[in-house]
Amino acid sequence: MKKSLLTTLCILLLAATQLYAQNHTVTGKVTAKEDGLPVPGVSVSIKGTTTGTQTDVSGRFSLSVPDNTILSFSFIGYITQSVPVSGNTMNVVLVASSQQLGEVVVTGALGISRTRNQQSYAAQQVSGDEVNKTRSSSFVNGLSGKVAGLEIRQNNALGSSTNVVLRGVKSITGNNQALFVIDGVPVNNSNNNSSTQQSGGGGYDYGSPSSDINPDDIESVTVLKGAAASALYGSRGSNGVILITSKKAKKGVGITINSSVSVGEVDKSTFAKYQHSYGAGYGNYYNDPTGYFFYGDVNGDGKNDLVTPTTEDASYGAKFDPNLKVYQWDAFDKTSANFGKATPWVAATNDPTSFFVKPVSNNQSIMITNGTDGGSFKLGFTRNDENGIIPNSSIKKNIVDLGGTYNITSKLSVGGSVNYYNINGVGRPGTGYDGASARNVMTNFRQWWEVNNDVKALKAAYDRTGKNITWNYADPLAGNLTPIFWDNPYYVRYQNFESDTRNRYIGNVNATYKPVSWLTITGRTSLDSYTELDEERKNVSSVGVPYYSRNNKSFSETNYDLLANVDKNLSKSFNLKALLGTNIRKENTQSVYSVTNGGLIVPSVYSLSNSLNTPNAPVEYKGLREVDGIFAGATLTYNNLITLDGTIRRDKSSTLPKANNTYYYPSVAGGFIFSELLKQYTWLSYGKIRANYAQVGADAPVYSVNDTYSIIPPFGSSPQSAVNTTKNNPNLKPERTKSAEVGLELSFFNNRLGFDGSYYATSTFDEILPVNVSTATGYSFSYLNAGTVKNKGIELSLNGTPIRTQDFNWKMTLNFTRNRSKVTELFKDGTGEESKNLELNSYQGGVSINASLNQPFGMIRGTDYKYASNGQKIVGANGQYLQSGPNENIGNSNPDWIGGINNSFTYKGFNLSFLVDIRKGGSVFSTDMYYGLATGLYPETVYTNDLGNPVRNTLANGGGFIRPGVTESGAPNTVRVSASNYGAFGYARLPDKAFVYDASYVKLREALIGYSLPQKTISTLGPIKEVTFQLIGRNLWIIHKNLPYSDPEEGLTSGNLQGYQVGAYPTTRTISLNLKLRF
Amino acid sequence: MKKILGVFLLTSILFSACKKDLTSLNNDPKNPSIVPSYALFTNAQRRLSNTVTSSNVNLNIFRLIEQQWQETTYTDESNYDITTRSIPDGIWNALYRDVLYNFERTKVLIPNDVTGADIQKNEIAITDVMQVYTYYYLVTTFGDIPYTDALDISKPFPRFDDAKTVYYSLLTRLDADIAALNTGAASFGSADVIYGGDVTKWKKFAATLKLKMGITIADLDNAKAKTVVESAVATGVFTSNSDNAQFQYLTSPPNTNPVWVDLVQSARQDFVACSTTMALLKPQTAFADPRLPYYFTVNSTGTYIGADPGSSATFSLFSKPSGPLLVSSSIGKITNPDFPGLLLDYSETEFNLAEAISRGYAVAGSVAGHYNSAVTASVTYWGASATAAAAYLLQPTVAFVTATGGTDLHKIGLQKYLALYNRGWDAWTETRRLDYPVLTAPSTAQTEFPVRFTYPVNEQNVNVTNYNKAATAIGGDLVTTKLFFDKH
Repeated sequence: MKKSLLTTLCILLLAATQLYAQNHTVTGKVTAKEDGLPVPGVSVSIKGTTTGTQTDVSGRFSLSVPDNTILSFSFIGYITQSVPVSGNTMNVVLVASSQQLGEVVVTGALGISRTRNQQSYAAQQVSGDEVNKTRSSSFVNGLSGKVAGLEIRQNNALGSSTNVVLRGVKSITGNNQALFVIDGVPVNNSNNNSSTQQSGGGGYDYGSPSSDINPDDIESVTVLKGAAASALYGSRGSNGVILITSKKAKKGVGITINSSVSVGEVDKSTFAKYQHSYGAGYGNYYNDPTGYFFYGDVNGDGKNDLVTPTTEDASYGAKFDPNLKVYQWDAFDKTSANFGKATPWVAATNDPTSFFVKPVSNNQSIMITNGTDGGSFKLGFTRNDENGIIPNSSIKKNIVDLGGTYNITSKLSVGGSVNYYNINGVGRPGTGYDGASARNVMTNFRQWWEVNNDVKALKAAYDRTGKNITWNYADPLAGNLTPIFWDNPYYVRYQNFESDTRNRYIGNVNATYKPVSWLTITGRTSLDSYTELDEERKNVSSVGVPYYSRNNKSFSETNYDLLANVDKNLSKSFNLKALLGTNIRKENTQSVYSVTNGGLIVPSVYSLSNSLNTPNAPVEYKGLREVDGIFAGATLTYNNLITLDGTIRRDKSSTLPKANNTYYYPSVAGGFIFSELLKQYTWLSYGKIRANYAQVGADAPVYSVNDTYSIIPPFGSSPQSAVNTTKNNPNLKPERTKSAEVGLELSFFNNRLGFDGSYYATSTFDEILPVNVSTATGYSFSYLNAGTVKNKGIELSLNGTPIRTQDFNWKMTLNFTRNRSKVTELFKDGTGEESKNLELNSYQGGVSINASLNQPFGMIRGTDYKYASNGQKIVGANGQYLQSGPNENIGNSNPDWIGGINNSFTYKGFNLSFLVDIRKGGSVFSTDMYYGLATGLYPETVYTNDLGNPVRNTLANGGGFIRPGVTESGAPNTVRVSASNYGAFGYARLPDKAFVYDASYVKLREALIGYSLPQKTISTLGPIKEVTFQLIGRNLWIIHKNLPYSDPEEGLTSGNLQGYQVGAYPTTRTISLNLKLRF
Repeated sequence: MKKILGVFLLTSILFSACKKDLTSLNNDPKNPSIVPSYALFTNAQRRLSNTVTSSNVNLNIFRLIEQQWQETTYTDESNYDITTRSIPDGIWNALYRDVLYNFERTKVLIPNDVTGADIQKNEIAITDVMQVYTYYYLVTTFGDIPYTDALDISKPFPRFDDAKTVYYSLLTRLDADIAALNTGAASFGSADVIYGGDVTKWKKFAATLKLKMGITIADLDNAKAKTVVESAVATGVFTSNSDNAQFQYLTSPPNTNPVWVDLVQSARQDFVACSTTMALLKPQTAFADPRLPYYFTVNSTGTYIGADPGSSATFSLFSKPSGPLLVSSSIGKITNPDFPGLLLDYSETEFNLAEAISRGYAVAGSVAGHYNSAVTASVTYWGASATAAAAYLLQPTVAFVTATGGTDLHKIGLQKYLALYNRGWDAWTETRRLDYPVLTAPSTAQTEFPVRFTYPVNEQNVNVTNYNKAATAIGGDLVTTKLFFDKH
């Protein structure tokens, strides 16, 4: 294949040389009719070719043209003009178009442009400036709230992954992330975090590969939402496509410099607040007379002394009393000023909030472009240094963008680009519930903490010694000062850090040949390839087994495309656009994971040879996938009034069994621009209805067809092997999605007010699922084509310009998305027995995320209260709530709706904009509250009860409380329960349901104030064409939320498992100062 | 011309894209589609030993239920919380999926790679005995379980079979296996970590397991139990500790004893001695059990002391499971990485023989004689001398005639309980069956003393109809529903 493509290119090149003709240069100026001012950015092209240029700031252009050509001048909002060349200068006056909206060119699938008139599906475009304005290192985050139908969930940890889902989750266990395509090159965005990390165990979130994309190189982003819009991409388009158009060189040399500095800080409303009344312990059962302290002779005076129960990672101990002197952890640290001293029993001055730092990050980029008649050139470099809010966490990025086009003849142009990304992470935050590894210090701070521990003292202890001096000694009285469950958090950050490095290339070479005015043939080979090394370490003296691991990963995706495009006026009224193409995609994913065994011999040496025991053989993976596709499409338009569109693609995938590996994706679409018939109503600027239907399919995960065994490290010299726990299926068929959509586009009052609305319904069936089976079968999962998920929803976007004057402009955009999903079918066995629930993952705390029959996708299940017929909670004879079995639906992780309101104001050189991002409804389970309320960290566990006494007093001392509810006979509960030992408010006594919170939020996501120097001043600055200062805020304010002490948006990783928090990171507020210079 | 060329090229590429065979790309180059049968056998044997030996709170908490050990800070399992950590799922997955099914596949693959009909037959019979052994734990833990439909992926929702029917079928299988074992031929060799492929030992193992299974149903069906026991004894059961079925773990991970992983490697301090067992070992008295230093360490002040069941405890103040890696002076080995996993032993065999005679079965010897042999076997297995055992047996509360408990079965029950230290799962079955010693639920316990485990959450979710039928059939899916063999 590669060979044949090369041959094609060679022949195209040869053919082109014959087509050279005599050229001369035309210069001119383009002005607008209404005000006579020059119009910059007008596209000037030789009609029927790709050759062209754009006007500069002063509306001027210069272009080398053959004799007897016609030049076409087009610009958004103006009527396109075709002017025959006569002489060497020409001045053109553009007239504003009353139909401007319909003429807006929108990039569609495979990069094929259509005017809005011709486009019969939902697509929303966001400019690069808009996406990039907050200077976030991941451009995806800049889309939140800006596109109807797009749900973005960002995790708060530095460099963590972003979940990007269009129109709801369709595939129960498959990938639901939108496909990213840069200039026709599909970009891998699969999350390659470990399965343990993704399922809530410990690990690191290595981020979404889409965050590599350089925000400064984005010209615009188009979001293709439905299957009809993206059917030409085949299986990968089934989740929608985010098309990124990179910056193109404009005529003449242009240099743009962006320089920004950001400062971050923790949004305290998203972190724990602590009670200040009770210290370390789980209750009163230690050995001093009060039962709250360890008891032994520390100072050698023959009398027993009070010692903090250092093993007890909870704050359910003795009431604070400054007159009580206790030997605390630092009394056992020989390097501490408090060594050997009993200190007052009080709450720490510096709680874990002081663990966070205020990171300074900076981003510098330069982009040099040049456009000439012969082609264009682009070279950019970006350096981004980002630091996190926890100590020793940083990500450094170096990005080089290089691209060029060369017009060999007026009919043939070639181009290529290489983007190089070098990403280096150090100390990414640990995530999940990590057990013995304790990499996520947030689980420590939010769930298992003693509020008498001073974080700054722990920092000082680490700084003094570099050793793991912890508050959590295993047995201080016996001299055992090793940590039992928790390391010093600074030791975790500075000794047990991960590091990772990724070198990635995304590039393509392409040729476009236009033998006749109505035909364009494009050939392209593109590559997205990276190698990555993730290293993790745990030093000697940490909790758990020290280790060093390295995961060498590599990925490449190569695409070969050949595409013929026809654009022909069949008659005066009919225009036909047609295409025929082929695409071959090859993926190669490999990894080698090695880890030491049983510990490290020498501390701080991180190499496999430093393994205490002989390491097991590395775990290797090699996965190949190839999908071969052919496709065709046609768009027929009649007088700008009616558009009919049809596409078909056939894919053949290597991951399906031979008999079922070929499948088709048809789509049909139609649009009717009814405003054409209502021209008498001048207030109606534009009106179109559109409808479409498409079927798309998806192939299977690699290696889900044939069964294999796994090889287990040998037992001594005896080899070991096991049957895999998932049964593969040699009869898999492709997964299918049917999708239908209707839409309405309206524009009023000369486009001062616009509306775009869509209603869609999708049904994804024959889903390729590893279904849960009874493990009595010998397997946990079995691959089947089973399950149907239906999604339907509404997307609305409204934009208006309430005020538009010469100097002052106010623009407003509103986006609204509402999606409803329902799992309508799971699977049936041969006897007709139907599965009612598919558990997707179960987490710490006994909760799980599920696809439950006849419920929305992503139900949170766990234990619930038992309820009386009037809805009141039932309390048992012991005063505690009765609990249901472990499988009740206790929450739905999907929001009711999401939306964004964007306002922007410009006044002369100033602009101000802000985006409010809203999510209404949806649930999240908080493991942090589940444990943290049990261990008595939060103020909710300390209050004065109805008897006027501290609730933590024993029942005998008037403590305790009465759980609101009724007895089984319906009488109000009157039994007082104790809150004097841990658990009363947390997991031990309450069902999971008690820790399910509403995940709604209203956030001031972005705010920006900018100032551009006026043209008058600029003209005195020599070569400088633009100077802009911006002050940018991101995640400034959570205006409203219902989840205490955390950000409801936070999750563990991108993917289908949402609605669960554990060891959540707080939100980082960032304020950036940006300077943009353009030469 | 150029147009034609373009069209030609395009079509040729389109066609080249259609003809290729892509299927071979989907063959995993890193994992085999076939493996040697013995590799599956070794792994399944290790997984089985791990499951019955483990002290992991997600899998095997029977030492806690049996009040041999006690948790320190996180006392949920000591208080019979088996749901938070989905322990029934853990057991079910380990035994069905990781053990039984891998043995099942071993049987399927043996004819592929083992030459010699006798060897094949021996290997299949040994594998089947291991399966019977595994099913014994499932059926005595849950009651009705999938059996006829089990280990068959074409039945993703297997029906549950009546527990007694399953049990009797297991006995029939054992008979067939005993008949099939040919002591004149070889078997797995070194792939068999327990007996190194010694078929004579396996035959004894099968008979000893049969004896145990016969005794287990004595209260359910005395006549059947008598037949089974007598025929097992006739085949030949364990006669010394050298017959014990032990899985010899290695010193380095990942093939160590799982108790070492949980108690030593993790450096956690989760478990200490429980006062119930400790009291029966009579520490700090002249009558201290000779096994005491092999069972437990001393605490930080040098004394033997157990924490009360269900209550929180400070690690340093109590005795811990024995081993120099936890307390350097300890002479026991429970927490050593290479401490063997014990699957079936001579001591319990002698207790079973004592019980058989007490129940009037035709077995040679006397109740007291077998009782004495059982206690002696246990004491010497753990490391104390035969002299110490003899002295111990002279103590009035131990000597059979005057032993604590009153009835034969209670006397046997108490000593068997002590001998089954560190084998909580078996101790649990015997406690339920012999009802002695009486274990009192902690006041903080979530339920009464569990006499069975509830079905796994996954079965409840996935296998709904059959689960519901089974729950009804056994009288409710509760930890308090008595199982078929537990008649008192």
